Amino acid sequence: MSTKIVIDPVTRIEGHSKITIQLDDQGEVVDAQFHVTQFRGFERIVQGRPIHEMPSIMARICGICPVSHLIASAKACDQILAVVPPPTGIDLRRVLNLAQIVQSNALSFFHLSSPDLLFGFEADPAQRNIIGLARAHPQLARDGVGVRRFGQQIIEWLGGKRIHPGWVVPGGVDAPLPAETRDRILSTIPEAIAAIERALAWYKSSLVQWEDEAASFGDFRSAFMGLVDRDGNIDHYDGLLRVMDADGRYLADRIDPTTYTDYLGEAVEPWSYLKSTYLKKLGYPDGVYRVGPLARMIVAGQLGTPRADLELDEFRRRLGRVPSSSFHYHYARLIDTLYAAERIGQLLSGPDILSPRVRSFAGINSNEGIGVSEAPRGTLLHHYKVDDDGIVQWANLVIATGHNNLAMNRSVRQVAKRYVKSAQLTEPMLNRVEAVIRCYDPCLSCSTHALGEMALHLQLIGPTGTVLDEIRR
Amino acid sequence: MTGGVVVVGYGNALRTDDGLGWYAADRLASDPRLTGATVLQRHQLMPELALDISAAALVVLVDASHTLSPGTVTVTPVERANDATTTWSHHLSPPSVVALAHELYGRAGDVFLVSCGVESFEMGDGLSPAVGAALPQVVDAVVELIASCAAEHRAAK
Repeated sequence: MSTKIVIDPVTRIEGHSKITIQLDDQGEVVDAQFHVTQFRGFERIVQGRPIHEMPSIMARICGICPVSHLIASAKACDQILAVVPPPTGIDLRRVLNLAQIVQSNALSFFHLSSPDLLFGFEADPAQRNIIGLARAHPQLARDGVGVRRFGQQIIEWLGGKRIHPGWVVPGGVDAPLPAETRDRILSTIPEAIAAIERALAWYKSSLVQWEDEAASFGDFRSAFMGLVDRDGNIDHYDGLLRVMDADGRYLADRIDPTTYTDYLGEAVEPWSYLKSTYLKKLGYPDGVYRVGPLARMIVAGQLGTPRADLELDEFRRRLGRVPSSSFHYHYARLIDTLYAAERIGQLLSGPDILSPRVRSFAGINSNEGIGVSEAPRGTLLHHYKVDDDGIVQWANLVIATGHNNLAMNRSVRQVAKRYVKSAQLTEPMLNRVEAVIRCYDPCLSCSTHALGEMALHLQLIGPTGTVLDEIRR
Repeated sequence: MTGGVVVVGYGNALRTDDGLGWYAADRLASDPRLTGATVLQRHQLMPELALDISAAALVVLVDASHTLSPGTVTVTPVERANDATTTWSHHLSPPSVVALAHELYGRAGDVFLVSCGVESFEMGDGLSPAVGAALPQVVDAVVELIASCAAEHRAAK
């Protein structure tokens, strides 16, 4: 008789989910699925709201990456106003977005994943946590606290608070940067860079321990997608979409992100509230692609900051131009964080960063807007339609975790088949199944949004277990 | 006192009474009796707070409690957690964050938790009548605690 193993809830990720693993009569894994069990529905909530409220409402989607939604939303609103923010307004948005990348990447690597990497996937769960980390490797734990604090402080100093800040508005930002805030941020950058580089050195020295995991933690051929600038180098705030296949060939290059529906399809499955986004060119479900730090390191030509570019060169020497394993998200995430810290310094050193011109004003000039940026977990799209009064009629959000959904499910199946044996089911096996999900650092609060109607299967079951009635929608 | 005073009001201000810490922090930040104290608002106790706790002489955490009856205010000292076991995902308990301060930075200030029993954790951005009525008591409890600790410190000198 076949058996189902359920891991519920999956821990150390953002949000609520479960994993089911299906075994056959011989106890071998035949299938596994990653179910997102929470539902949010922001696309419906915002219908009827005025456009100027959108950035603040959308920031409430998430407590981890509110800034990402704030920025993508404001960019969609820019299009509806048909304005281009002043250059300084754009640079300040870039700084805020990069600070968000830093703090969220730090949470993922240092606080959520490093206990597994330090102690091993076989270690006692009582030790495999942040307190255990602090005892065994206090410098790594202190660096985690320091790097995350660095990103959060920038968000707080610019946006007024760490979580759900305002400041970014349609047309730019609502206040210029005071010189003392710039100087305060600049003074904290050297220590943040030093901490990230210590973590990179430690990670690279321990990478050899994880060859087995790297070979089974989502190690498969797929495409990768991210934003690049007009020269093909990384761009977290703006830019053009690039999709690269497993052999390094471009499936799409430098395409206008507002044409995303020509390239990306969205599918729903009855067993999860998380949409599965796929490449239309390859169809569903074969059109698997990955986004986020690993994809950014793959699709970008260069990064454009000296220390991060050196690390990217080494990353490519070690792993090749298109690493196939999702285990390498961890490595890529650290380089992404280093780039962000360096780039913040570059932007704040610009000659016009203190300019008082930070916002463009306009009324409703278009009935549709699409905002795109790179969030910590990957490419984020906000797409709105409004009436002539600027009242939202329709919204669609395509979230990084949705882009990665097909890849996450494939990864869970691969890890389960490699490590889960029903005859000797152990906690370390299950930990690995969870850990492969953590490679992607999914943000489920962000990603559970409806495509059309909510997938719903309701059964009315009598006391004897008989299905009396059922509705599918 | 050396090291200063840090007050941390925490919770979710969009879940009615769970936002108690935020409302208290708003009042404490402008309370003339608390000049010189650093007042923070946080959704959760995160590892980064360990640095503040290690640097402060006195830390007062203000949180809503679902175990106390609505409007009941208590003040309790927070001891360092003795063991490392935690199911931590994104936040820490008060004893765990104190333990983390010790592990990472070698010390922690005196830490107290001011709690107020809640009536509702439903969605909403206001306090229930019972907790709203108790808010001044929460603020006074924090002010009196800080004054009392300062007096003890002076007496010990």
